[in-house]
Amino acid sequence: MAISNEKEEVISCSKVGVIVEAKEAQISTGPSEGEAADKIISDTVLSLPSHAILDLLSIGVCTRCIFRLFGVRGQIYWSSLLSPTIFAPLIQKSNGSDDEHSKGLESEFCSICLGILQFGFSKEKQNLVKSELINNVSEEIAKFIKQEGHEIDSFSLEVSIPPIILANERSVWLYLKKKYGSERWFEEKFHAEHVTVKDAFKLAITSSLETLLTAKSEISSSSRIRLNHTHSKASLNLEKESVENADGANVKRGAECSEQSNGKTDAAIQRSLSRLQDHAFCERFKSPPEKVNEPCKLEIICNRAPIYIGGRYLKYSRNVSQSRWLIDDERKGEASVEEIIGSNILPVCRGDNYKFHAAGREDIDVRMLGSGRPFLVEIQNARHVPSEVSIGEMEEKINNLREKLVRVRNLQVLGSEGWTLMREGETEKQKQYAALVWISRPLEDEDLQTIASLMDMSILQKTPVRVLHRRSPLDREKIIHWMKIERMVGSQQYFLLHLCTEAGTYIKEFVHGDLGRTYPNLGSILKCRAEILQLDVTDVKMDCFN
Amino acid sequence: MEKEQKDEGYFDKTQTLKDAGMIEFSVPCHRPSSSEQRKEEEPHELLVPDLCSLPLTPPTAVDCNFTCYFAPDFMKPDHDQYVYRHPNGLCVIGLASTHVALKGNRVKTVDFNVGKSNRSEIKVSGKRKRNAQRFEPNTALCKVSTSNGDTSYIVRCCVKGSLLEVNERLIKQADLLNSSADREGYIAIIMPTPTDWIKAKNQLLSLEEFKKLRGLC
Repeated sequence: MAISNEKEEVISCSKVGVIVEAKEAQISTGPSEGEAADKIISDTVLSLPSHAILDLLSIGVCTRCIFRLFGVRGQIYWSSLLSPTIFAPLIQKSNGSDDEHSKGLESEFCSICLGILQFGFSKEKQNLVKSELINNVSEEIAKFIKQEGHEIDSFSLEVSIPPIILANERSVWLYLKKKYGSERWFEEKFHAEHVTVKDAFKLAITSSLETLLTAKSEISSSSRIRLNHTHSKASLNLEKESVENADGANVKRGAECSEQSNGKTDAAIQRSLSRLQDHAFCERFKSPPEKVNEPCKLEIICNRAPIYIGGRYLKYSRNVSQSRWLIDDERKGEASVEEIIGSNILPVCRGDNYKFHAAGREDIDVRMLGSGRPFLVEIQNARHVPSEVSIGEMEEKINNLREKLVRVRNLQVLGSEGWTLMREGETEKQKQYAALVWISRPLEDEDLQTIASLMDMSILQKTPVRVLHRRSPLDREKIIHWMKIERMVGSQQYFLLHLCTEAGTYIKEFVHGDLGRTYPNLGSILKCRAEILQLDVTDVKMDCFN
Repeated sequence: MEKEQKDEGYFDKTQTLKDAGMIEFSVPCHRPSSSEQRKEEEPHELLVPDLCSLPLTPPTAVDCNFTCYFAPDFMKPDHDQYVYRHPNGLCVIGLASTHVALKGNRVKTVDFNVGKSNRSEIKVSGKRKRNAQRFEPNTALCKVSTSNGDTSYIVRCCVKGSLLEVNERLIKQADLLNSSADREGYIAIIMPTPTDWIKAKNQLLSLEEFKKLRGLC
């Protein structure tokens, strides 16, 4: 239902706190609905106590704030017809002199909401915008979203307001209480839960924003539009107040407060405000609040939750690390998988930044062949979510780079479930390798049989010396699932060892023995010295991105 | 997900390519050409290196991964010890082939119960190496006894640092010192601080200098 023309219904409706959702009374769309809207507005206006309204107008409170304070809810906030002139019937009704009251009606910004609900705002290096038009704000937002290149089909709105507004609201409430506290309407209506500035603002702009952005407003949307309102002078004053009269913790918070008050300091200030007794509040704040000639500064931020692009990578170079590797600003290796993939994906998604995650890793001098290794690229604040076609193009582009250091397979866009996919697969991971091995004596046919006969062999690896400086010293038990020797034509001592092991086995140490600290090792099994010259990962067995 | 290259330890910065523990050979890289239609299976020749590019005898893992230093006549004549320094800062301590204990003798026992504590009973744990004891260069690590009479020799740290582990296999298999003193017969692993290492290094000989001294060239 919309705002009823029955007084009592307005009250009961606001009391139960129903936010009107039915669209029967679309306000401010067509001309016929316009008339209906007029009716609703005038009915609402007439339901309010005229002398108090006039008083509020004279202390510079705006129309929407008046509605808020009286607990009026619903679509009425969307209307762009809410100029103070709608109260003209009240003025006539009260037979008061027009001049006296209309003085207060024009000029300044609302003394409670600082113009937020009048849709006036200023931006840096821009003249202040003052109007009663909702579209002003929503167009500004839409323009920003477009400029930033965001492609969104839904959004969730977050609004922040200067904390001084909370003080203003209380100060007006105290002012009214003092004057009209004994009147019946004050008891009945004014105690009903009022609509907050944030909610009223969201109610007012959401619909026109949906139209302008051709996107739905959804609470759980991955695209967040944040509207930060700041009013530097006012909030600084308030911070000073809260610092002066609060305990130690708040003093610290107050000191942290910058001009751009964030949610945390908001909450801190709100807490310290609510702790203040009415009389103490009156000592510190003017009641009614001072009039305001400057609107809030509006800062628009749009941010999309990370998107994930997953797949498997192959690495063909022994001089490319998995992640960017800098030691004392000096690069190790000629490139990194992270950068090669990330730098080709990021521009397409037009994100702020990217993070590279992979299911395990290999050393810089180890190639990643065969199935490739599962990875995820997390794109922060992507403006564009690539289509299947553009994913295909990305894959094509990476795979056709001039230097064929890295390839990708099965590239796909994933939501946050990509994480789970990769984590789940990782636990039961087996890995297959091909190692180039040299032994200190000629290889015998018997050796091939010996090696092939070892199935699911347990080995004990002390933390390898090469990583012992940063890992716990531990005895790590690992399983070598199977091994196979492939002879190399023309050599008695070199051969390829194919092996499949449990994830986390140190292969190089298994071959050369790491001073006997991995045992048994290939040398101890073949009763000779074994050296590893090259290693390739040939398969990462995981149920993901296959 | 741990990252191989990221770390909190101070030795971090000394980590180099050699840390990966592999030799760098110029094996021709078989990269698939872009025009080539890619199959799911990797071409097998990608795995097989060109034999001509491989050395007849490759350097050992110790040669590849460590820089070898020597402490000749440490505290006593002919008590030659080696210090293998890994780029990550760790030092492997052992008996050089010229050590008097290995000259025509069979090593009978290795006893880590020297000084105030049994070196093999110190259990170091965690990334931060809790319980690791800080030893001086002349602190005893173990006592090596040979079958040649009742002669025994004290093996010392040679570098100041935290003792991370001793080679416990030597307790039961003392003859590892005869068969492979330079590899499986190592005595202990010590982690010196970077400053202590610089001091220690000045007291040590390089492989070349040592060979010259002992006439091993």
